[in-house]
Amino acid sequence: MLLVLRKGRWALLAALFICGAQAQVPERANACAACHGADGNSALAGTPSIAGQPKVFLENYLVMTREGIRGSQVMQGLLKGMPDKDIVALAVHFSKLKSKPNEEKADPKLFGRGKDIAAKNRCASCHDTGFRGKEQMPRLAGQREEFLAEVMLQYRQNRRPGGDTMMNAALHGIPEADFKALAHYFSRLK
Amino acid sequence: MRTKAFALAAASVLVLSVQAAFAQAPASPPPAWHQGKPPALAESKLAPLAGKMTETPASEIPISKLKLPKGFKAEIWASGLVGARAMTMNDDQTKMWVGTRGIGRVYEVSNEGDKRTVKVLAEKLTQPTSVYANGALYVFAIDKVLRYDNAAKGATGQPVDMTAAFDLPKEQHHNWKYVRFGADKKLYVPFGAPCNICEPPTKEYAQIRRYNLDGSGKEVIATGVRNTQGFDWHPKTGELWFTDHGRDWLGDKGPEDELNRLSKPGQNFGFPYCHAKGYVDPDLAKGNKNACKDVTMPVTTMGPHAAVMGIHFYTGSMFPKEYQDVAFVARKGSWNREVKFGFDVVTVKPSADGKSAKVTPFMTGFLEDPKTAKFWGRPAYLAQLKDGSLLVSDEQLGAIYRISYSAPAKK
Repeated sequence: MLLVLRKGRWALLAALFICGAQAQVPERANACAACHGADGNSALAGTPSIAGQPKVFLENYLVMTREGIRGSQVMQGLLKGMPDKDIVALAVHFSKLKSKPNEEKADPKLFGRGKDIAAKNRCASCHDTGFRGKEQMPRLAGQREEFLAEVMLQYRQNRRPGGDTMMNAALHGIPEADFKALAHYFSRLK
Repeated sequence: MRTKAFALAAASVLVLSVQAAFAQAPASPPPAWHQGKPPALAESKLAPLAGKMTETPASEIPISKLKLPKGFKAEIWASGLVGARAMTMNDDQTKMWVGTRGIGRVYEVSNEGDKRTVKVLAEKLTQPTSVYANGALYVFAIDKVLRYDNAAKGATGQPVDMTAAFDLPKEQHHNWKYVRFGADKKLYVPFGAPCNICEPPTKEYAQIRRYNLDGSGKEVIATGVRNTQGFDWHPKTGELWFTDHGRDWLGDKGPEDELNRLSKPGQNFGFPYCHAKGYVDPDLAKGNKNACKDVTMPVTTMGPHAAVMGIHFYTGSMFPKEYQDVAFVARKGSWNREVKFGFDVVTVKPSADGKSAKVTPFMTGFLEDPKTAKFWGRPAYLAQLKDGSLLVSDEQLGAIYRISYSAPAKK
């Protein structure tokens, strides 16, 4: 834990530096930065990027996790007892940061397949044009590839509790290989 | 809440408790994503409106924007109840309990005359509601029933788990429950259709049941009910009147929501073949001339996608006489419509024979621009205080407003 906090402080400093004039970083953002990246773009496999996510989505996720209804045990522990005003401050902060797509070269075939599957399943009807998310619906563009693939699988297998059951239904019957294509495509969008 | 089958589900987030989710076999929900959405609307971006899950201080509630008929006044009665929905009170109205959906809480409000204090009584539940009955408080989550005994002065101690006695089906969609305690000493509990439009997967859905307080004596009293979110008994006839949401993805015009009247147990209200006042479902009953046969028609339709919620027949002495026995109905407001509709409380005045009714807006101002979906509040449920004033819960801002009346001074 100490190590995480220490890393967090450095991350906070980095965040302050990067954000420049945007100096009003909520005090608690350093704990987030340790895993999710100082600029909200995660460099840790399995840990999602939170930069550029819609404010409402972040708020809902943080509240539900604090309540112990969704999220990982680590996140539940970090958020325990956090007042709403701190949650709102964090949501505002990370929603304003810029999402960075995966810069690794895309596999054109896989990318194209992901694009087709996304169109066929009308992902954009909720996740919005460019998959940038809106209101309570998260941004997919630029999200970590392995995270997206794993989350979609969890939804389809009803292993992701506390979220909206509409995702369980939306992904019904889609094979795991298609999740990989979708994840590859989304992760490389700006 | 109207929705695409399972899929375009709840406006607020639907919740599974951690334990329940892992205990559940990974049975797949029906492949409902495309169901009910015609090709013409394939590119539609309509989606449920986001709820607000953080506390709104009373000072940030724009109460002055509300509009009421002359002589009526609205004030903030309680706030800080994130996601507030149905209200239930003890006999002397010193305690109120308020359920929620996504945030999983039941609040206990202590009414201390000129002020209210709010605490969380129960949490981490799957879309809980509550009802005070015979000195006890019953909490109904989708997968759980809890009973707090000796709640007359406030719920205390550990609740008794009554789940096994109530035989609750497992689907979550449209299964938040509005529960009431009837004059017949029974609990009235609805079970919505777990889809936008479908043949329900089992016969446990799209119905209203009643039970004895211990869960025995289960009886289905209404069928073909897609998603009722509220009911009340007519003060004169004793008949049960209930709201019901129409289906989605058939365009801005409807089919409209319904206000129904149960004149005898066992009536069928049409879902999934016959909506509103004889609107035959184009997906499941196209060309079927018998789609509306033996279906009980609504007393009145309540507007397209209006999301009719709580209903309360006014029986107090504070409001003018013309409001006596009139139904107040909250319309939480539409999402599945390009131009938004509802976001108000209306009065419904039944005709003498009770077969039709006049719908008149009563409390408006929550919706500021129907075309851009600009709104600040969503009225959900109603309750009457002993002094005859009327309470309205606002699910969006987690507040309860009190509407009172005083005759304008004569000049």
